[in-house]
Amino acid sequence: MNFKLIASVSRSLLFARWKQTLIAAIGVTFGITMFIALLSFMGGLNGLLDSLIINRTPHIRLYKEVLPSDIQPVDLSAQYTNHYNFVNSIRPKNERPEIQNSFAVINALENDRRVLGVAPKVTAQVFYNVGLVNLTGLINGIDVDAENRLFAFSEYVTAGNFVDLKNIPNSIILGKAGAEKMMVEIGDVISVTNPRGDRIPLKVVGLFESGIQELDKVQSYASITTCQKILGESSGYITDLQIKLHDMTLAPEMAKEYSELFDTEAVDIQSANAQFDTGSSVRTLISYAVGVTLLIVAGFGIYNILNMMIYEKMDSIAILKATGFSGKDVNRIFIFIALTIGIFGGLLGLLFGFGASVLIDQIPFDTPALPHITTYPVSYNPKFYIIGGIFSLVTTYFAGYFPSQKASKIDPVIIIRGK
Amino acid sequence: MKILEAKNINKSFHDPITIQVLKEVTFSIEQGEFISVIGKSGCGKSTLLYILSTMDTDYEGDLIIDGVLMRNKKEAELARVRNEKIGFVFQFHYLLNEFSVLRNVMLPGIKLGKYSDQEVEHKAMEKLKILGIESEAKKKPNQLSGGQKQRVAIARALINDPLIIMADEPLVILTKKTANWSLTFSRSYLMSIISRCS
Repeated sequence: MNFKLIASVSRSLLFARWKQTLIAAIGVTFGITMFIALLSFMGGLNGLLDSLIINRTPHIRLYKEVLPSDIQPVDLSAQYTNHYNFVNSIRPKNERPEIQNSFAVINALENDRRVLGVAPKVTAQVFYNVGLVNLTGLINGIDVDAENRLFAFSEYVTAGNFVDLKNIPNSIILGKAGAEKMMVEIGDVISVTNPRGDRIPLKVVGLFESGIQELDKVQSYASITTCQKILGESSGYITDLQIKLHDMTLAPEMAKEYSELFDTEAVDIQSANAQFDTGSSVRTLISYAVGVTLLIVAGFGIYNILNMMIYEKMDSIAILKATGFSGKDVNRIFIFIALTIGIFGGLLGLLFGFGASVLIDQIPFDTPALPHITTYPVSYNPKFYIIGGIFSLVTTYFAGYFPSQKASKIDPVIIIRGK
Repeated sequence: MKILEAKNINKSFHDPITIQVLKEVTFSIEQGEFISVIGKSGCGKSTLLYILSTMDTDYEGDLIIDGVLMRNKKEAELARVRNEKIGFVFQFHYLLNEFSVLRNVMLPGIKLGKYSDQEVEHKAMEKLKILGIESEAKKKPNQLSGGQKQRVAIARALINDPLIIMADEPLVILTKKTANWSLTFSRSYLMSIISRCS
């Protein structure tokens, strides 16, 4: 009842100066539009950059580091247990960088409910033979299916079919930059030299682009069995286990747990890529700051217009008070006006913001670094829309709060006496 | 029955020097009584009216309206008293140009919330009819003549059937005929008018 009355009075005041109302609402609309467009674009970009690292990086990597033993023979001698033993120039013993009992470890990991999947890997240091020149290289022996499922391997294989790696024996996928350097194409056969000096011919079935050219020159992919063959190892020889979890945040503590359980080194994604997190959060912070600034500027616009309206409507406010409207009612009328501008301006802003995001999403964006990206990345995270909506209401409320306080304190006697 | 009582009302202005305008004003008004306050300009007629209307709360003494003491009442409560028990007619009409004539008359009625919007509208039309301006109900106040506006203002003062109508030189701009007619009309409705005539 009372609300209806306040709404109707507010509406009349709003439409009495509809041009100014419109300008105030456009201010809010523009602010929210830019806020949404900016955050969606930033969010998309962040997501893209994160996915570059996070999608391709295991949440936990288990590997064996060849390290000198912590316990030296002298420590085991009963004669010297109560002595300080100094041993200089300790060297690691000849040990293979292999994860012990790898089949059992994989089995145990796959039965762990927190684990999404495990992709085993064998790395091999080789030389690519180009005529008389040897180029250093690193071949990653991968389980093609697991690698694709967990780390989107197919996304960066730009030429050839990644499945051929599994189906064609003795095949290899080279980095595009590396292939150019060696002047080979798909279907050619290259030869590599393994650490023991044996030459092995491999057929090029595809090219990949990781986005980092130096990496592409050196690295290449082969199937696990091919890689084990290059190294002359048995089928149980695994150097890395790449684990992907359901919940990435568990990685640090699970890394510690696995390290003890399987007696290997374990590194989690958070410690391996700390600088990346920082970059993302700083970018997000900047875009929020810009968006919030836009909205505050729009808020000042509303503040000005309401202030002016109050000076113009001084008489009307006085008469409303004389005929029985309380200060609180007058206060509510002006808050209502401000919130109406905020709601309509904000809603339009959300719509236009969505439109702008869709538009940005259509703009072509070709970069050799990211072969699977064709348009600018945009995130349609509902969080941005919720924050934008809430923020438009909060700004307009505060923009209306001070003028409405002023209006509610108008003394009708002074206005009426002045006439 | 006493509708309004003023007991020892004192009022001073302090800026730039303290001047006491009202000294120990004491009187009472019966229901249906017609009272005119006369005095030379600057003697405090309007000041008294604003105090009696509860809009000015900065005074000493007691003001009793319809048996209720007005002192120490909150702003919202006083607004309610003005809405329910007091009708106002000012020297200047003070209509809201954003609303139609009918809506202007209805506003205090809707604010009171005693009747539904339809009933208030019906009552407002009746009041306009009494004052002979029902044909202007859909117009905006700025489309009316001065006398018509003042009649709308009178209709607005009547909408909640107040106990008291307070008027600050209301009839100055009305024609003599309308003025006489308005006064007769208010008597027949058993209301008190406090009118300031110069």
